[in-house]
Amino acid sequence: MAAFNIGADDLVDNPTPRVPVSLCLDTSGSMGGSPIEELVRGVNLFYDAIDEDDDAHDSAEINIVEFNSSAGLVHDFASIERLERISSLTASGATAMGAGVNLALDTLDRRKATYSGSGVLYYQPWLVLMTDGGPTDNIDLAVRRVVDLVEAKKLTVFPIGIGSGADMNTLARFSPNRPPLRLDGLKFKEFFEWLSKSVARVSRSTPGDTVKLDLEGLAGWAEL
Amino acid sequence: MSLDVQLLDPVEFLQPNRRLLIDTNIFMDPDARRAGGLKRLFERGQDAILENSNPIVVPTKVIGELTKQSRRDPSREAEERTKVAIKKAGIALSFLEDASKVGLVRKDLGDDSNPYADDLFLRIFERFAPAYEMCLLTRDITIKLRIRLLAHRLDKRLLTGVVTKDGDLEIESDQSLFDRGLRKYALRTSNVAEGNGNFKDRSEVASLEPLLEQFRQALDLKAPEAKAGDRPAKPSAPRGSSGRAPTAQPFSSTSKIKPRDAVLAFASLPTEGDRVSWESASKSGTFLLGSLLGEGGEGSVYQGDRNTVVKIFDKEHVTRHRKEKVELLVRSGIQAKGLCIPSAMVCNAAGEFVGYVMPKATGREARTIFNIRKLEKDFPTWNKSDLVDICISFLEQVQHLHSMNIILGDINPKNLMIDDRKNVFIIDADSWQLEGYPCPVGTPMYTSPAMLGKTYADDLRSMEDELFAVGTMLFQIVMTGQFPYMRTGTDGDMVQLIKEGNFAFQYENRNNKDQPDGDWKFIWSHIHKPVKDLFWHTFHKEGKRYRKRPTAVEWLGVFKAYKAYLGNEQFSFDPMSNSVRPIRPKAFKPDTPIRDCPTCGRKHAIAGIWNDESQDYFVPSACNKCRGSSVRGAIPARSARAGLDPPQPATATSTGKTRVSALAKQYGIASKDALEKLSALGEFAKTASSSVGPDAVRRFETAYGAELRSALRQRTKALDPSRRCARCRNPFITYGNVEWHQRAGKPVPTTHKPGPGGTYPPGCFPPSPSPRGSTTTTSTTSDNKPKKKATKQQQTTTTKKKKGFWSWLFD
Repeated sequence: MAAFNIGADDLVDNPTPRVPVSLCLDTSGSMGGSPIEELVRGVNLFYDAIDEDDDAHDSAEINIVEFNSSAGLVHDFASIERLERISSLTASGATAMGAGVNLALDTLDRRKATYSGSGVLYYQPWLVLMTDGGPTDNIDLAVRRVVDLVEAKKLTVFPIGIGSGADMNTLARFSPNRPPLRLDGLKFKEFFEWLSKSVARVSRSTPGDTVKLDLEGLAGWAEL
Repeated sequence: MSLDVQLLDPVEFLQPNRRLLIDTNIFMDPDARRAGGLKRLFERGQDAILENSNPIVVPTKVIGELTKQSRRDPSREAEERTKVAIKKAGIALSFLEDASKVGLVRKDLGDDSNPYADDLFLRIFERFAPAYEMCLLTRDITIKLRIRLLAHRLDKRLLTGVVTKDGDLEIESDQSLFDRGLRKYALRTSNVAEGNGNFKDRSEVASLEPLLEQFRQALDLKAPEAKAGDRPAKPSAPRGSSGRAPTAQPFSSTSKIKPRDAVLAFASLPTEGDRVSWESASKSGTFLLGSLLGEGGEGSVYQGDRNTVVKIFDKEHVTRHRKEKVELLVRSGIQAKGLCIPSAMVCNAAGEFVGYVMPKATGREARTIFNIRKLEKDFPTWNKSDLVDICISFLEQVQHLHSMNIILGDINPKNLMIDDRKNVFIIDADSWQLEGYPCPVGTPMYTSPAMLGKTYADDLRSMEDELFAVGTMLFQIVMTGQFPYMRTGTDGDMVQLIKEGNFAFQYENRNNKDQPDGDWKFIWSHIHKPVKDLFWHTFHKEGKRYRKRPTAVEWLGVFKAYKAYLGNEQFSFDPMSNSVRPIRPKAFKPDTPIRDCPTCGRKHAIAGIWNDESQDYFVPSACNKCRGSSVRGAIPARSARAGLDPPQPATATSTGKTRVSALAKQYGIASKDALEKLSALGEFAKTASSSVGPDAVRRFETAYGAELRSALRQRTKALDPSRRCARCRNPFITYGNVEWHQRAGKPVPTTHKPGPGGTYPPGCFPPSPSPRGSTTTTSTTSDNKPKKKATKQQQTTTTKKKKGFWSWLFD
């Protein structure tokens, strides 16, 4: 209960507009071994980079949703100060991508409602979807929700394929505005560096602004 | 007669080359020493008036003011003084009517477009100064000072004075005028500082301060002796005026927008260690660029000589506008501590413009103080008056630039630096708007509703746009970063929030259910009332200053008064008011018990809660936060009311809201309005403070259910005393009607609507006569018909007498 209150104080004490970022990560069996280890390292690096950036530090709020045979919340939204670095993720089971994306969208909706109910300004949220395979459940609903939000400019989505097994056609369905990107090897570090810079860039703008993503920066980690 | 005054024969000012004018207050003069003076004046002057066909001028505005005064109902006024004034106005009107018939008075001059008679006189004097010598009879010291200054500026004979008992014109000396001006200023300032000031006081303080200083300088008068240790608001020495270059000339205020900006060609951009040339207004030379200090969105900043830095634009930002603007600023000679104005142009080895030299700003970005935790960490000893100092320093800079016809344009926390001594530095001079060069950048949060949707680079900002940004910045400084339009229930669209103009912070008896969670409402609650007033009127779409925003000078007035207020324990009796982060509402009165919280130990965290029934204070055993999360956010409303503002309902916790909705449902109140209605009644307080559990609610229902229902019904039908008809100043609209308009999203009316047959209550007539002239006359004559209850009792015996008056005023 006490922890909850501290979180609530964090939320309302800080008048900085927030950028909620949901990391929706594939932890199916195929991710086992070095991919999942690199992913964990990348996420922690992302946290560090956000923590160090003056603007992003006050703005970014991050959660992690994982999906394997089902979907689950690794941790809910919190400011970077409260976020403990993740020690490990376990790779097992199938790839319930539809459930994962739906859960991520639900958590984003809830977070927005919390901002709105408390009187905190926010930017439209970001969804980072990372997978090394293809969905084993039905993704139609998730795709429709994502596309509707993106088209209404209420969501920015980054679908990222990991390795050669990633189903880029499926990822493309989640990204109406730009083609999905395939990670070059296991360059999670480079990707998350780029992501933290992009979050920082948004934090320096004001809600409602159109923020140009630094597409040149993609070169370091993506194969187009 | 003392040396301070000079007497003139009125006949002198009735000669063909001269004009004599009279202000409203002369007719209302309560001073017995001057009684009968006006009559004598007319007696002595009438031959000259008729001979020269030069009637004394009493502008329509004055007639209007007298009329308004005479129409008040003396039986409803408590003060004898007011009753006398009403009578005096009536007498003056009939006198003027008679005098105008025989050609002694001219009362058709001027129009009603200007809301203030003062401004009207100034305009008349300015316009006719080339043609006539003029004398205005008035008792208002402010207008006297203004006209005297005008006379000095134009080098014309323009006088002001009063009438003596014998009908002479009594003209004061400059020193005497100045001294009286100072006294008036001191009086108004103390009213404001004591929290008793009304709008007029505050605007007088704001306008008198610079006026007196101008007056003193222009007429070379003795400055009053400053009292030691009395820092605030001495007109003799505004901080901003010292150290300014006196020779700098303002830029044009009327320039048209320049043709679009274009990138300039250049051979190369210099970097660290490269030799560059510089050229100031009078000198030139070369130097080596120092180390790179930082990179921004438009270029890089390098160390220059001593206390200077050099901004080198990047390739997209070496443009014609920037070059010409920098050139203008370098040549302008404008200098002031804290303003990072270009002092020299910088060119590359090929002699092409690439950047400029400016003074180095010290301190940190204003963002530090926009985050309460950073503020508490970085400046643990600061209190509210330090934030007010920052506002004052910021305003002095802004006011100086505005006086030079420079618009800052992109006001935002990244362009302000604050040092440890609370000096504000303003950077990014090359983006300022001047001489028709637009400010090409902007920040949505500081963009006025009118400017939103326009392209910064393609439109000139108006002063109103600028003043929106100034107001927003001030709000964020005193509110440690909060955005004025923040409220609950938004979808994060800031542009929409600005356009709506729904300022949600609790103000007087208005609805406050949308205030953001957290301590913001407490921080707001402790802000000095005059500052609060000006914020509310600036930001709320129904505010008086929503379309005519306060100037930097006006803000300076209220912030200096705020500073004085915080320094005076007698007025600012709640020690928490000087905290950067109050955690409870402001205490009710000086005798409200204030305690430290025994649980968390925070100082002054508990204030007594007034109980109307027991006529005593209840002192809670712990502070709001320690009393647990279930009451968190639910302010003990009795204490809030205490803070001069009415009770606040449970703004925060969803449990509080749910409880109210449930309650509302049981009472058959539409849930949407429940909070508002309940809060207005202040009854919800009883559930909120006794708080937890359904038992409390049940107790509340039993005790107050019936009372609440009936109060709600009655209130819907009752006239809202805080809303007055803009014409007759009487309450005119019911709470229910106000709420209906608000629910329907319609603007709340500001004047009486015509009753049956297009009639209006006495003393309340629409001002535009011409197209409906006959209707107006009809309404006057129909006053005897029975009408609405409210208007019936206002009918007075003066109605008949006024009839003739109205016909000439409107025909």
